[in-house]
Amino acid sequence: MYAMATEGPEKTGEESAGAGTGIGGTRYDLEKETELRFEVDSGEKVQLELLTGLAEVFGSELNRNKKYTFGPGSKIAVFTWQGCSVALFGKTEVAYVSKDTPMLLYLNTHAALEQMRRQAERENERGPRVMVVGPTDVGKSTVCRLLLSYAVRLGRRPTLVELDVGQSAVSVPGTMSALCIERPADVEEGYSVQAPLVYHFGSTSPGTNIKLYNKLTSCLAEVFSQRCEVNRKASVGGCIINTCGWVKSSGYHALVHCASAFEVDVVLVLDQERLYNELKRDLPHFVRVVLLPKSGGVVERSKDCRRETRDEKIREYFYGFRSTSFFPHAFDVRFSDVRIYKIGAPSIPDSCLPLGMSQDDTQLKLVPVTPGRDLTHHVLSVSCADEGEDGTGGVRRGVLESPVCGFIVVTNVDTQAQVMTVLSPAPRPLPRHTLLIMDIRFIDLK
Amino acid sequence: MSMGTRTQRMMIQGCLSNMAEQNKTADVKSSNELLSPSELFKARTRSHKIPGRGQKDFIPSGSNEQEARLQQNLEEHWSLVLEERVERLGNLVKAVWIPSDRIVELQSPAGKFWQTMGFSVHGKQCLHPEEALYLMECGNLQVFYQDLPLSIQEGYERFLNSKTMSIQHYQVFGHLKRLGYVVNRFDPSSVPSQYERQLNIPLSRERSGRQLKRKRSHSPTHRTQEGPTTEGTEVKDRDGGKERMNPEAPPDMDETQMASQEDPSTSAQGVQGRSWWSKGGTPDLQPELPGQSQSSGSPRWDFRSLPFPDLGSRDKHRGSLASPDPCLLPEAVGSVGPCDVAPWLLRLNLWQGRMSRREQDQYRRDINQDREVQRCRNWAEYRKLQEKRSQLKRKNRPAHLWEGPVTPLHDPAQPCSTGELMDKINVLKPSRLLEGASRLKGSDEWRICFNVYQPDTVAEFKKSSPGKPYSRMCVCSFDGPVPDLRTLKVLAFQSGDIPVTYAVVDHGDISFYSFKDFQIPTDVLPQILNDNPALTAGLSLLDSRVYQKIQASGK
Repeated sequence: MYAMATEGPEKTGEESAGAGTGIGGTRYDLEKETELRFEVDSGEKVQLELLTGLAEVFGSELNRNKKYTFGPGSKIAVFTWQGCSVALFGKTEVAYVSKDTPMLLYLNTHAALEQMRRQAERENERGPRVMVVGPTDVGKSTVCRLLLSYAVRLGRRPTLVELDVGQSAVSVPGTMSALCIERPADVEEGYSVQAPLVYHFGSTSPGTNIKLYNKLTSCLAEVFSQRCEVNRKASVGGCIINTCGWVKSSGYHALVHCASAFEVDVVLVLDQERLYNELKRDLPHFVRVVLLPKSGGVVERSKDCRRETRDEKIREYFYGFRSTSFFPHAFDVRFSDVRIYKIGAPSIPDSCLPLGMSQDDTQLKLVPVTPGRDLTHHVLSVSCADEGEDGTGGVRRGVLESPVCGFIVVTNVDTQAQVMTVLSPAPRPLPRHTLLIMDIRFIDLK
Repeated sequence: MSMGTRTQRMMIQGCLSNMAEQNKTADVKSSNELLSPSELFKARTRSHKIPGRGQKDFIPSGSNEQEARLQQNLEEHWSLVLEERVERLGNLVKAVWIPSDRIVELQSPAGKFWQTMGFSVHGKQCLHPEEALYLMECGNLQVFYQDLPLSIQEGYERFLNSKTMSIQHYQVFGHLKRLGYVVNRFDPSSVPSQYERQLNIPLSRERSGRQLKRKRSHSPTHRTQEGPTTEGTEVKDRDGGKERMNPEAPPDMDETQMASQEDPSTSAQGVQGRSWWSKGGTPDLQPELPGQSQSSGSPRWDFRSLPFPDLGSRDKHRGSLASPDPCLLPEAVGSVGPCDVAPWLLRLNLWQGRMSRREQDQYRRDINQDREVQRCRNWAEYRKLQEKRSQLKRKNRPAHLWEGPVTPLHDPAQPCSTGELMDKINVLKPSRLLEGASRLKGSDEWRICFNVYQPDTVAEFKKSSPGKPYSRMCVCSFDGPVPDLRTLKVLAFQSGDIPVTYAVVDHGDISFYSFKDFQIPTDVLPQILNDNPALTAGLSLLDSRVYQKIQASGK
């Protein structure tokens, strides 16, 4: 399960020294260009403190003598370029120091990208647009975070385009989003999410509606290009696109489509040579395809683990990081006040069509949903779409292409009174009345 | 009261043809002549009932009997109109006509009419000319001009002109007054704005009215001063509404907007950019130039000079990767050594996976072997090429149906609900009275003249706070043009939630018209079909008989 385990990690932790310094902490002295990897048991938490030297977690620097807390299920790698010593407090499932990291390759990649940004700045062009692809569990998100953090630390303003609908780092799952990165991700909390551009996809797998997925990719690309045209800094910063781990058949085509929509300059393929060769063949010659190894520290995540992360992400949307900072509102919404749609209609059998015709756009159809008991616990996106004055025909246009202004969860449905109770980040009323239903459910316990 | 009203109607109906006689009666009255008791007695007991008029007056059947009857009616009418009218001098309120202000100022205390008519200026009680004329006709008011009493005819002549009010307007006014309605002039500024209506704040007119009573001075600027402040609160409210729920606005909005304002200069910058390119090598001076124009012959990035650590291209990195320039790295990283690539090459995932034959066929060709693709230098060119090629390929639809100037109304491959299909068939789009009205500009020709309040509100009516009118009146003539749609829209919008009635004057007769929104019902399929788009789409291809069958079975 742990790739590194087979490679014989050399454990250089000096318990004796640790016992001398910390109060129950374990001290690790890291050599130059090595990293400390540890995982936190479920139900536990671990604190990390940098004692001497410089170290970073996924590109974000650690402050000396500050204790960082990591909750259950965290999988962390502390990397040092010049050597450092850190201390861990609490029970770790596994903790070891590894010399064997591809960080130097990643750093070289960053250097090349930075060189491109300099050229862009010099020549008044747009900066590099990078797409990170690879199968599941190869560290795509981590590589994105690294590259973004390094770029931001040099004063760039890159944009993160999050196309991974299963595990979004920006918004709740089931969405596709773009976020302007202005500071390195927080060591504990991740990106500071301010004014992201979020589109509703509605499911955790792009395969459920690949047409919608491609369409939203194009939408994001268009908005990003518009932004680049007016914001020089964003243009030079370029973007880093995180993609899904689905790299076969339709998933692969979605990648090619994304490359074309965003007009990417560089594609970083993690780990899989086959994907690398395919993309080299299917992308035009002016796109640089780069094959990079995955880090040995990458851990495979089980289905349950993914589900938990998704749940946590939704909870974080409503209650804030570690359920402390936000206090959501609960109120009733009458059925008559909102219109709920699902994207994608069932397809018609070919026998219903005239000879020689084929249907094309059922996947992008808006289907009205009659509110009922089965709506309970579903996550709904509040669409920003302009609502037509008459509310009959005009509203349908543009719902797909409109970003989302927020999310609500249906906690209860009363079919008698024709109302549903929702959990919402803002007090009533809802800012818009067009709601899009997600396949994703969230049960508001805790 | 009722008697007065009847006399009044007689007066107005006869007024055009009968001026001379009226003149005489008025003259007689105005000369302060005292009547003998017998004459007074006669005037009191005489029936003042005016003969009713009906359809037969306008569409006579032509029989002698009917003609005689009509003639008799008419004579009765005439005689009543001719009659001298008798009023008690003490009951008459005295007033003076002030032509410069076009108002009538009361000299003695006002009567009961003051509840619904007139206004105060600088502590003086005044009447509008139409009100004065109406009261004169009712026998409640005596108006003096240059110390001489005015006859009713003189009243008509002096009070009704282009600067005050036309005869038609007065006829409508008088008619409604006689029916018991409270009628006053319409002031456009009294209509609350859309925003005020939404907030349901008290009418500003009421406020200014009260102030007028206290200060005894008219302040027309009051409202205009208030305008901007309400707008200010509106803006503030909207801003306050933006919270966490609105990440729609992209970050750096200010920057974006500022830059887009500078957009018009982009073309000039483009020219400069090019001249800079030919000079070759000064640092950029135009940071706002969008980096899209690429006219150079080769792709933009020279990837040979960009040291990407690509493990895929084996031939290049046999040995190790040179250490990157420290200035490209974050400070804390410092300088790092060269990187040995070799061990990583052994660790790559070389698993090829299983490919179906179809996939193999599909992926067999490298697109970059294509000459045309090789010639593309950037995405824009490449996409153009792709589009060109796909256009050649795409010919799915039956050509004879879709390539002519007339195409089918509906593409069967696009499923849509019945409602949408109905919309497509609907060639004439329905319009609402208020639709788009806010953008239209009003004309001078048509305007709302009166606010009308229902008779049953008279008891509680207050001039300072009249409340919501029952209706608003726009006056026009049968001889004039019919109000067009634009007028209807503008006036309806101006009036807001209060209906506008059009009073059409045909000499003495007045007809009232109003325009109301209505919707022609459209036949919408039952819920079962709306919930099932596949079924609906299929149905759109079938004829209605089949549909009826399905409907029956659906039940």
